[in-house]
Amino acid sequence: MKFDVAVVGSGLTALVAARALQKSGRQPVLIWPGLSSLYFVYATIDVLGYADATSTEPVERPDDGVASLIARDPSHPYARAGLPALREGTALLLDWLREAGFRWQGSLGENYLLPTAIGTPKPSCLVPDSMAAGDLRRPDPIVLCGFQGYEDFSPELATSNLSRSWGGAGRSVRAIRVLLPGFEPGRLFTSIDVARALEDATLRREVASRIQQQVPEDGVRIGMPAVLGLTHDADVHQRFQDEVGHPVFEIPTLPPSVLGLRLFDRLRKHLQETGVEMIWAAPAHAAEVADGRCRRIVLKSAGREQPIDARAYVLALEDAVDGAMRAGVHAVLDPFFHQVLARSAVPTERTDESPFKPQPFAKVGYAVSDRLQPIGNDGRPLAGNVFVAGGSIAGYDPVAQKSRGGLAIATGYRAATEAMAA
Amino acid sequence: MPDSRTGVVVIGGGSTGAGVLRDLTMRGIDAMLLEKGDLASGTTGRSHGLLHSGGRYCVNDLAAAIECVEEGRILRRIARTTIEDTGGYFVSVSEADEAWEPRFVEGCGKSGITCERISVEEARRREPALSKQVRTVFWLPEDGHLDPFYLVMGNVESARRRGAQVRTYTEVTGFLKTGNRVTGVQTRDTMTGEQTTIACEAVINATGAWAGFVARLLDVEVKVVPVKGVMVVLSHRVAHATINRCHKPGDGDIIVPALSVAILGTTAVKVPHPEVLPIEWDEVRHMIEEGSLMADGVSTARAMRAYAGVRPLYDLGAEAEGREMSRNFAVIDHEQRDGIAGFTSIVGGKVTTYRLMAERVTDLVARRLGVTTACTTADVPLNDRDDDLDQLRHRPAQLGVPKPHGDDLSLQPMVCECELVRPQDVEPWFQDPAVRTLEDIRRRTRAGMGPCQAAVCSYRLAGRLITSRSLEGPAATRAMADFLETRWRGVRQVFWGSQLRQAQVTAGLHLELFNLDRQLMLEKEPAGTPEAVGAQR
Repeated sequence: MKFDVAVVGSGLTALVAARALQKSGRQPVLIWPGLSSLYFVYATIDVLGYADATSTEPVERPDDGVASLIARDPSHPYARAGLPALREGTALLLDWLREAGFRWQGSLGENYLLPTAIGTPKPSCLVPDSMAAGDLRRPDPIVLCGFQGYEDFSPELATSNLSRSWGGAGRSVRAIRVLLPGFEPGRLFTSIDVARALEDATLRREVASRIQQQVPEDGVRIGMPAVLGLTHDADVHQRFQDEVGHPVFEIPTLPPSVLGLRLFDRLRKHLQETGVEMIWAAPAHAAEVADGRCRRIVLKSAGREQPIDARAYVLALEDAVDGAMRAGVHAVLDPFFHQVLARSAVPTERTDESPFKPQPFAKVGYAVSDRLQPIGNDGRPLAGNVFVAGGSIAGYDPVAQKSRGGLAIATGYRAATEAMAA
Repeated sequence: MPDSRTGVVVIGGGSTGAGVLRDLTMRGIDAMLLEKGDLASGTTGRSHGLLHSGGRYCVNDLAAAIECVEEGRILRRIARTTIEDTGGYFVSVSEADEAWEPRFVEGCGKSGITCERISVEEARRREPALSKQVRTVFWLPEDGHLDPFYLVMGNVESARRRGAQVRTYTEVTGFLKTGNRVTGVQTRDTMTGEQTTIACEAVINATGAWAGFVARLLDVEVKVVPVKGVMVVLSHRVAHATINRCHKPGDGDIIVPALSVAILGTTAVKVPHPEVLPIEWDEVRHMIEEGSLMADGVSTARAMRAYAGVRPLYDLGAEAEGREMSRNFAVIDHEQRDGIAGFTSIVGGKVTTYRLMAERVTDLVARRLGVTTACTTADVPLNDRDDDLDQLRHRPAQLGVPKPHGDDLSLQPMVCECELVRPQDVEPWFQDPAVRTLEDIRRRTRAGMGPCQAAVCSYRLAGRLITSRSLEGPAATRAMADFLETRWRGVRQVFWGSQLRQAQVTAGLHLELFNLDRQLMLEKEPAGTPEAVGAQR
């Protein structure tokens, strides 16, 4: 099959790249290797939460923070992508979210500070409407509401931590639990079951009235696990807020992440509805290179190999070992050029002793040129028409700085821009 | 004045100490168990869980083999629910192995081990995982899997119901003496630092690899050689039955399908201290290579973690090294040997023979106390009362062993989906003062032992620390982090393949969605943070 630009990946990076191509009048094909970890852990779009891996003071303005990060560290993936790519990519994404029917808030000029499921304030840049009322820069008292028999969100744990780090001077936090009709304790139910059920108005009103009974006071906001609708999120959230009579905000919690599902399912579908072709569940496992250009990549489809010929390629894997990246015992191999991206004498070298510190393995990826082309051991691009975005760029690790979304946007947008010019 | 009194203090909460505690109480002797970490946190919980038919020892260590035969049969009567009767294969994969076969067959005969040679074709029909290198196969139906955690908890719960007291995280720091008679112990809580004294009539040192340290408090010597063994856990069972290499016991020649996983074992390296148990990459690699000689799928299965345990080999003074030392045990009567009355050590041995070890030492101590009641532990099952193991329902449904209420697990909420642990399985343990960390919950329920290595259940359990234990947020969060950190130590030893993706998801959840790294940075560790003693370094 022949295409203009082939985008490989199943995360935000790939979505942004495909959308950027589409908006520029190109005909991308999105090759979706399978569900990425996005579905488990995505909620907000974090651009830069902390200036470095150890600071505890949140970044107030992500754009300024990224600018000074670029100045400090010219090898950082943000520096490779450039601030304009972050700005333009963010504008593109916000437009796209609106067009796809989402209500999101935020800009690169500020970070929200939202409580997590363990009650820790966390800086986030772009957030769905349904989370915004949790902003801890506002002083209003908070009631965190869990469900009886629901293990995946502990309002008690979140309350105890949050009241220490944020409470005081009128900023109170307390925990309640309500019984969800039809989801009695002792019965198995997941976030997805509840999210789907809460799309039903009758049930929703019943839950709202049970919350009201436990929250007689005025002027509080209600934090809940992110289960307010599986697909029709904005509607469920807004209606529920009216029904409860207080501002309500969602808190992302244990997988499956309903917020991640909502976001990625809809964006993907929107791309398809607007004419972008998709190839599903097909990991790429080879690239054919001639005269310094990639002529073809080969996908492993069910029972056969499928060649994809494109003028340019964007490799937009979400994480270091997302998709087809193979981590052997000693070497991490890339699936396209079969380069050894990292070698370790012993597997423990790939990790830090602490699971809470940056992990060496997360930084594994292609060394890239100024145009995000993967470069080989000789320092020259492996193929002039291939551009790398997302987690497969060497040195890319969004975890500690809380920069996953911003890095995805900036590198995805930049790689798409380069692919257009290639 | 001592802070409390008991009849006999048992030091050590492994299988031996738990067995001794139960044996004492079954003879009507008041007893208290002291363990400086958690129950089954030392040698027992770090074994590979092979219930030995005796085949492994029948050539070099006939006495140990015979004990295994007898005790294995007894355990099937008294500890039925802790055993999975997998049976076991002994396989030859080389000419050298084949040369060992006649001695193996002879050894089985001498020690009374049921052993049947079956054709390779028949063996492969029964066990398709057997590798192409397999030349000869023996079937030993009495090999199996013994759940070491379940065994210890079962003994302890049985003893508690007979009045025994159990104190975990309680280290013995000294002895009370009157003349040459031990009259009690001084203890220190390893988490709070609280010190107490306990008066008693006798002390039994059942601390295995730590026995020398306890004895030294009385200026007597007990020579125990700590020999490290490294194990690798695979994410599924790989084979239906245990597989041993038919040769002189060596490294990496055991595969044990254990509940939902398989365990590859093991190495034998003398270590300077029972708590210094580094896991070397060469050991891990060797485990997988050797395992692959016996069974297909070992090298392609997902390795989930590696861990190290320590054997407490009793130095009988012979020149034997490591694995060649006897797996036999000895009761040391310090009154007779060292002139210290009221102190007895039980050393050596292995989990399979824990009951016999307990019987022997209890015989001696009971006699000294003037108690003539005979030992009944070979006959009375651990679950000798209806509610006996009611708290110990953690057997995965994969085994087809229904949990006591026998209902459909698929429709029940889970705390740990990997190991099918439900809220009602963990909740009673939060009421048990012996349980102090989430690792302790894991040892009692298997929560956190599956492929995600506590990524999910750690959060749910932390929530329960608030509601069921009334902990404050920071302490519960710290407990969650400690749990993840302890699991991580084993995970990073086998960090390749899908382990990396799992780690990405875990980091995305805890560090990105929860912002746990900042929570830990912001919250100074509270004093006396629970950290399991004897945990793998």
